[in-house]
Amino acid sequence: MWWGFELEFKSTLRTKKLWVILGIMTLLYIPSFYIAKSNGVKVESLNDAMSVLVGNVNSSASFFIAILAILMGATAINSEIEKGTLRVAMSKPIRRISYILGKFTAHAAILLLALLIATIISVAGVVSLGAPLGAELFKEATLLNMLLLLAMIQLVALGYILSTLIKSSSTALGAALAIFFVIFLIVPSIVQFVAMAPYITSDGEIDLQKAQERADEYTKKYLFFVPTSQIDIIVRDARNIELSSGELKMNYLGIVHGIRENLPSFLSLVFMTIAYLAITFYRFLRMDLR
Amino acid sequence: MIVIENLVKRYKDVTALQGLNLEVKPGQIYGFLGPNGAGKSTTILSTLGLIFPQQGRIQLFDLEVFRDGKYDEGKLVEAKRRIGYMPEHATLWDFLTPVQTLDIIADAFKIPKGEKEKRIRELIELVGLEDAKDRKVGKFSKGMRQRLLLAQALINDPDLLILDEPMNGLDPMGIAEFKDIIREQKKAGKTVFFSSHILAHVEEVCDTVGVIVKGRLVLEGSLEKIKEEFLKKAGYVIIIETNKPVDLSNAPWNVSPLGENKYRITASSDVREDVHDFITSKGAKILSMQVKEPSLEEIFLKVVE
Ligand SMILES: Nc1ncnc2c1ncn2[C@@H]1O[C@H](COP(=O)(O)OP(=O)(O)OP(=O)(O)O)[C@@H](O)[C@H]1O
Ligand SMILES: [Mg+2]
Repeated sequence: MWWGFELEFKSTLRTKKLWVILGIMTLLYIPSFYIAKSNGVKVESLNDAMSVLVGNVNSSASFFIAILAILMGATAINSEIEKGTLRVAMSKPIRRISYILGKFTAHAAILLLALLIATIISVAGVVSLGAPLGAELFKEATLLNMLLLLAMIQLVALGYILSTLIKSSSTALGAALAIFFVIFLIVPSIVQFVAMAPYITSDGEIDLQKAQERADEYTKKYLFFVPTSQIDIIVRDARNIELSSGELKMNYLGIVHGIRENLPSFLSLVFMTIAYLAITFYRFLRMDLR
Repeated sequence: MIVIENLVKRYKDVTALQGLNLEVKPGQIYGFLGPNGAGKSTTILSTLGLIFPQQGRIQLFDLEVFRDGKYDEGKLVEAKRRIGYMPEHATLWDFLTPVQTLDIIADAFKIPKGEKEKRIRELIELVGLEDAKDRKVGKFSKGMRQRLLLAQALINDPDLLILDEPMNGLDPMGIAEFKDIIREQKKAGKTVFFSSHILAHVEEVCDTVGVIVKGRLVLEGSLEKIKEEFLKKAGYVIIIETNKPVDLSNAPWNVSPLGENKYRITASSDVREDVHDFITSKGAKILSMQVKEPSLEEIFLKVVE
């Protein structure tokens, strides 16, 4: 397995792929912090800091990394068959299962690296906005990024399935993009809309709290295959918004709290990944490598 | 070294191998000939477990790696430690240099560091890539890629070399060098099995040639024997050029004009002397005469008939 890992990791480090991912992330983070700062946004507590992080990392950055993750997966095997490098690699003394495990681990490690860098940039960003730098901030930012890593790994695994099913890597790329937009953007919006619809009154008002509750319920039930939606739910429950004497009060309870409150969401992140990998491995162990 | 029995491989809609039988003995240099689509690559990929045949038996060294429609992956891995393989139409990692490529490949065999560096240096010299050893493979020409592919196949000093169309894309000098490398392998007691669809590629190197057509081995033996077979069936083709037009309409062979004072003669045996006499009797002179080596494809067609 180690050789499969080395092969993929070393060769990916030498391609532009990783640097593109990192470049895009930096481009997303740094300007948004810069804008926040020039708008006079002040971050004074861990709570504020995490709100900014969740806003930045979880919405914009994760979208782009998610696309990259699924595209990276979707060409992982078929493009290697097209180029012939897979036949060279598999003519060496290595079992198929070791090879694919090593390759996948390398992809996960690369995403981990990308997210670690993202964590550092984002922590530096909120600190520059005035957040108190402390172990707690680091811990929470890391946890947030680990959650995202789980989601990204799931998308890579989904991409791997495509790359074992679709011979042509360019077709697989197209399919991956289509799936991404349909499953991860359109379907969640529809589900959210259906969930919230009964709470929209005729004059366009909406009972936000109830609608949100129902949307969450629907998300957990019907969107178990959309990792980003599950993370949204977990991250939302990392905070607690109370309405006391007419004022909104926010308490930060931590990502771990969010996970505890939404164990099924967390488990779906893990189990979907395992299921996708099982399908991939099943295919890869039986496929003609030409 | 390689024993293949009754191997059957069907792709979705094509049966590429229909019960192939083949044996490569230790120390042989075996040329595996066949026209495009005959099943050469399919055979080679099967021996390495890179594709899944449906039936048959494959033995590498004394390891039975495939039987009853299944590979024994443990034995396959063991066999691959002693095999070097060069794929057809393949590139290596574009963004690595030859040195980096060979370094990674060597790690698959857990070659210790010092030995590895020495081996890489030797191989790069052997295949003539010294000048390009630190350039990215992505910018390499076809022939340079072929050379690197050969080097990676040799990294573990294999007892058995399996090469798929290794001379594709090589210039004449490259082909000569390649043949030298193959002969060196034979001297070192290694076995080489390589495919080609060009007769000239197997000449001067192979001691045994097998011909595959439509997924079956149709001929096997020394090159001389096979050529003879070919010529018997396909006929000798002789091209002559004369100093002036000659009337060949009553010649005892099949003649077709090829342009000004050029003729193509087809006969069932080597009739060069008769041709010479015939032309002289007509008062003309022969300026050049050559026996045209039939193209392998032509011969294949004849052999299948
Ligand atoms: N992936 C595939 N799917 C379907 N048919 C295939 C596939 N690969 C090869 N074939 C078919 O199998 C047959 C044998 O192909 P193979 O590549 O083994 O021939 P070959 O002798 O190596 O030819 P060439 O000299 O062109 O390399 C051909 O008819 C080919 O079309
Ligand atoms: Mg071929």
